[in-house]
Amino acid sequence: MRILETCSHTFLLLRTPEGSEITSLDGELVFSRKIFCRGAQNLGLGLGITSGPWRTLGPRPHQSPVLSGRRGAGSLGRGVFGFPLSFSSLSHFLFPPVPSRPLSPGPGDAPPAGSRPPSPGTRRRRIPAGPRSAKSEAQDGKLQKSSPLCPPPRLSRNSRPSALAPQLIHSPGAGVSQRVRPASTLASARAPPAPLRTRPGSRSPLPAGIPGPMALFAIFQKTFLLALLSWRTYQSEVLAEYLSLTPESLKVFTNSACQCLQLQWNVHGLPYHQELKMVFQMEISRIRPSNVIWVGNYSTTVKRDQVLHWSWESELPLECATHFVRIQSMVDDAKFPKLSIWSNWSSWEEVHVQDYPGPSTLLVFPKNKLVEEGSSITICYISGINHNNITCYLHNELIHGEQLDPKASAFKLNNVSFFKRSGTNFFCKVNQTDIQNGTTFFVSKVLEEPKNFSCETQDFETLKCTWYPGVDTGLDWNIQHSQSYTLFESFSGKKQSCKHKDSCDWKITQDSQEMYNFTLTAANNLRKRSVNIIFNLSHRVHPMAPHSVHFENRGATTVLMSWKVHVLGNYLTLQCQVELEGNGKVIQHRVDMKVNGEHLFGELVPDTQYVARVRCANAKHFWKWSEWTVENFTTPEAAPSEAPDVWRIVKSEKGSHIVSLFWKPLSKIHANGKILFYNVVVENLDKPSTSELYPIPASTRDANLTLDLCSYQIHITANNSVGTSPASVIVISGDSGKKTEEIEEEKINSTEDGFFMSWKPLSGDVVGYVVDWCEHRQDLFCNLQWKKLGPNTTSTLISSDTFRPGVRYNFRIHGISMKNIAYLLENKTGYFQELAPLDSPQVNITNLTSRSFAMTWKDYATESQPGFIQGYRVYLKARNRQCHPGFEKEVLSDDLIRCKFDIDDPRKKTFIMENLQPESSYEFFVTSYTGVGEGPNGTFTEVTTSDEPYHKLIRIILPMILFVSIIIVACYWKSEWVKEKCYPDIPDPYKSSILSLIKSKENPHLTIMNVKDCIPDAIEVINKPEGTKTQLLESRKPVRESPLIEPVYLYLQDEKKSSHPGSFICFENLTYNQSASDSGSCGHVPVPPEDSPRQLGLLTSPDNLLKTLEKNYMNSLGEIPAEETSLNYVSQLASPMTGDKDSLPTNPPVPAHCSEYKMQMAVPPMPCLPSP
Amino acid sequence: DSWGMLACLCTVLWHLPAVPALNRTGDPGPGPSIQKTYDLTRYLEHQLRSLAGTYLNYLGPPFNEPDFNPPRLGAETLPRATVNLEVWRSLNDKLRLTQNYEAYSHLLCYLRGLNRQAATAELRRSLAHFCTSLQGLLGSIAGVMASLGYPLPQPLPGTEPTWAPGPAHSDFLQKMDDFWLLKELQTWLWRSAKDFNRLKKKMQPPAAAVTLHLEAHGF
Repeated sequence: MRILETCSHTFLLLRTPEGSEITSLDGELVFSRKIFCRGAQNLGLGLGITSGPWRTLGPRPHQSPVLSGRRGAGSLGRGVFGFPLSFSSLSHFLFPPVPSRPLSPGPGDAPPAGSRPPSPGTRRRRIPAGPRSAKSEAQDGKLQKSSPLCPPPRLSRNSRPSALAPQLIHSPGAGVSQRVRPASTLASARAPPAPLRTRPGSRSPLPAGIPGPMALFAIFQKTFLLALLSWRTYQSEVLAEYLSLTPESLKVFTNSACQCLQLQWNVHGLPYHQELKMVFQMEISRIRPSNVIWVGNYSTTVKRDQVLHWSWESELPLECATHFVRIQSMVDDAKFPKLSIWSNWSSWEEVHVQDYPGPSTLLVFPKNKLVEEGSSITICYISGINHNNITCYLHNELIHGEQLDPKASAFKLNNVSFFKRSGTNFFCKVNQTDIQNGTTFFVSKVLEEPKNFSCETQDFETLKCTWYPGVDTGLDWNIQHSQSYTLFESFSGKKQSCKHKDSCDWKITQDSQEMYNFTLTAANNLRKRSVNIIFNLSHRVHPMAPHSVHFENRGATTVLMSWKVHVLGNYLTLQCQVELEGNGKVIQHRVDMKVNGEHLFGELVPDTQYVARVRCANAKHFWKWSEWTVENFTTPEAAPSEAPDVWRIVKSEKGSHIVSLFWKPLSKIHANGKILFYNVVVENLDKPSTSELYPIPASTRDANLTLDLCSYQIHITANNSVGTSPASVIVISGDSGKKTEEIEEEKINSTEDGFFMSWKPLSGDVVGYVVDWCEHRQDLFCNLQWKKLGPNTTSTLISSDTFRPGVRYNFRIHGISMKNIAYLLENKTGYFQELAPLDSPQVNITNLTSRSFAMTWKDYATESQPGFIQGYRVYLKARNRQCHPGFEKEVLSDDLIRCKFDIDDPRKKTFIMENLQPESSYEFFVTSYTGVGEGPNGTFTEVTTSDEPYHKLIRIILPMILFVSIIIVACYWKSEWVKEKCYPDIPDPYKSSILSLIKSKENPHLTIMNVKDCIPDAIEVINKPEGTKTQLLESRKPVRESPLIEPVYLYLQDEKKSSHPGSFICFENLTYNQSASDSGSCGHVPVPPEDSPRQLGLLTSPDNLLKTLEKNYMNSLGEIPAEETSLNYVSQLASPMTGDKDSLPTNPPVPAHCSEYKMQMAVPPMPCLPSP
Repeated sequence: DSWGMLACLCTVLWHLPAVPALNRTGDPGPGPSIQKTYDLTRYLEHQLRSLAGTYLNYLGPPFNEPDFNPPRLGAETLPRATVNLEVWRSLNDKLRLTQNYEAYSHLLCYLRGLNRQAATAELRRSLAHFCTSLQGLLGSIAGVMASLGYPLPQPLPGTEPTWAPGPAHSDFLQKMDDFWLLKELQTWLWRSAKDFNRLKKKMQPPAAAVTLHLEAHGF
């Protein structure tokens, strides 16, 4: 039934159970095409009536209009989507308790109104909680307000996160906000609804062509009655039902890249041209419909036939579990508060992304996930393999997950950190098989806010903006590039991408824009960070460095400096800072200028190099100084301003004064330029008209003058290219006062600062005093130094960097009289630092006696030592660990003992060692010592004292006595042997025993030996022409009578044997040869045992025979070959009587009548010596 | 034992003037180019060893683990170097060279794909250098084939391998493929060294030439 069809402006659609237009759909009361004219008051009344029972319809679902995670799961309040954040509570997030509805978060838990999409709460957590400026925080935030990572729904699995362009997933009517109803819902609930207010300016409720007011009234009345009736009639039935618009055509898409469920639905039955605020509530279950894991609301404005979209991001990869989604809706429009009733739920939509794999497959999800450092990620795998056989590793470390169902397990990684640009690998393998799989997820560093963002211009053409970019958040594999920077200027609305990561150049257009409001935005795939500055261009002027710096000299002490700056817009007034550095000082000035600047520097030092610097800045609005422009200049020369400092040494020599002048170079500040030469003018005071000029080159520091004994005045001036200095005056008097040698030398001590000395003032008027000294010890290279002092000074501290330790300095103090004549006052000497002596004295030993000796070291030069010699020290090596009296015992480290004696007087250079042992050695060593220590250790000298005289005698006589005694005793002991050797007994033939035998038989004077009784060994034939053997035997003539007769030898040996020249035996009868018979000097001659009886006696007297034998035998030896083995048997006629009673053979083979050959001797062919 | 080496070297130098191959003035034949190709394979083997170490470290664990042996999931398109020994022996020269040429053409394409992913400048430089070297090897093989009179294999249209990230590939699987690419490349270089050694021996007239071949240690 149509009512007031002409009221077309505002209407509601009601579907009633009666009539063709009012149909019942599933028993729900919904809007139908019943049209109510909003201008009709009774309609408002009618609705007002209906609002009563609606208000009683249980709890108002829209009291929690803000889409928020359900909070029924206890600890889930702060989790992602209200999910737990730890493994232990993972089951909560999979099988959470179903929350009671409607959701009504507490005031503190409600997110900012309108700021959150119905999508995950993770986005909320990613905003750093650090303190930030309100301005930047306002600029801060996510790339997207809703489902930032979700690309448009795609079913392909290979879409990469890089393709995730920022997209807002919402229906057109929902606006950016998708915002849920503001917190003023309660207020609106309390306020009386006024849904059908007439629009301002609306036309008359009665359109043209309608009959008059009466007819209208009748119609209204009828309509009202009918409506009231029908409402009353069906109130109990219809109002008990929900008056709502059930979402229809719910489709769910998945996006694996962002793990998003994307819902799409529409709401049928909306009137044309009408927008209605609605709240949709979604319920998401996992694994089975009853396991609701998330409930949330989504508010938006819905138009007729509008397709609605909404996205939800799952923390668990969608592939690892089946998800179920359903949705219900409710009108949440303030205009129709009575319609706020939840519709019925849509049917469950099942989302199954990945079919469960077979028994030999292992799949790991998510793929290529990009998260930010510090966030959480859930990794899962599905496999038909027994999960006990699957092990998973992160960074090669075994990790354990939680099994979701028989085929899926999940691993929640909290607070992940950046590992590599190439991502972090999660890797699973099945034990004892080669089934392996894994996934790589990428952890991006948190994008930092650009720091120190500022912009400035140098030329009013370009603004250069710079900042510090912070860490690079780029990742490889095209996951995420390094963050990009964009500059946006809000006044001009221009935007520019920056090529560099830390600077950007912004072109200034000539449209006289003064204010700039820049927003610098850093962005990566996950986040945007912005900073903002607003400034006036003229306040950000950083001028370029000045140029064209020139100097103009105005005299030696004044310089005019000028410079230019680059033209800036509108001829900005600049303030310039000028600095002049030179001569150890820095002068600073400020100059205001437009284009050309100049400054006059005065009071400069002549001939000095200065460094001038200039920099400029905006005078009115200081921002930054420009760079310095640095230039050097040098001031011109001027005449020297001070006389040179001169001193002299005067030596008198052969009636003349040799004056050595010394001067110091003028200091730079007084020279005022380069000194070219010095002039020395010598003026004879006795002859005032004569004066001589000596120009001396500048490099010279001294001059020698030979003057006679007159008084002279010497003027010394220094000259440069400009002029001459004042003169130094020195007067050499004919009588130069006391000489150095006449004044006693005084020792002074030094301090760390130098030598402090004082002196008696010079009587009379004094101009000043001068202390001079030689820098070096040697006079030849004295390098005279001096110090001039005022007339009232009587003490000073002489300090110099050239003072060296161990050098003896002699200071002479002079007084200068009014006439410029110097008088020597005192002599001081001292060491800057005393050292131990460099060497020890060379000691000479004199007066060496058996009891003492003297040591002297007269040549030891004490003045050349590096300290005042205070004395000498004599060391003596101890004998038997004892020291001489007066010596001090000193035990050394190696347990040696030495004795020490100090001589305190440095002038005493002799020492006498006394009370010594004679003929003993003493080792000594003499060294000198100063206040610091003694000289270097040297080698000890050994001295041996001489011996006593009688000791020497005893040494000679005692051995001699002993020797003689030994000789005597030996002789006595061996007297027999001696006697035998030296004076043996000579046998007397007449005392022979043979003789006595014969004597006893017959005649004592006759001795006969029969030849025939002898066995001949050799027969000697005497060459006698007429003689025979018999004759020979009978006529025994002396050998002397036939000296020419040669003996004939008869050899008995074998011929073969005789061939050997060395072994033969010859018999020689010396009886017939006088000379031969004399051979054999000694009585005892060894004879072979078979020989005839030996030494039976001699016919002649023993003395003669001995001599003769000896003589002849020696002769014969010369003829006999001297062979050792040969024996010469000499037969000799002997008397029959035996002479040798001692060696008489016991069984002599000689018969009594055979005694013609008395003796046979075997003579060895050697000189006859006593045989042992 | 350096003395033995020295003696051997001296002997070789002594006989050098008598070696006909060195005195020949005409066409040297395929011998030198085979030798050059063989040397190049050994050099590339060495180069790949350091490159693979760097790249697998870049991929991160477990790819740089010595005992990591992933399944050959996405790397099925890579030319396989492993072949039955009997089959390998029965290959004729033409087939042998053709297989080498084809394998390296494909591997080179895949290798250039690696370069697109790596971000480190140093890694890119190493990869580019290796690609250049591999290109040289490919040219060298082509030279050998030309000198032996074999035609170069023509790439079939549409089978040109490209290194577009496969649609079903996750980055982890991509890394696995990279792993397999390097591994297969290594195996191919081993095989090529054997191939060219065999070819070299075959082409050499007996005792015709003495080659002084210095092998770098570490292969």
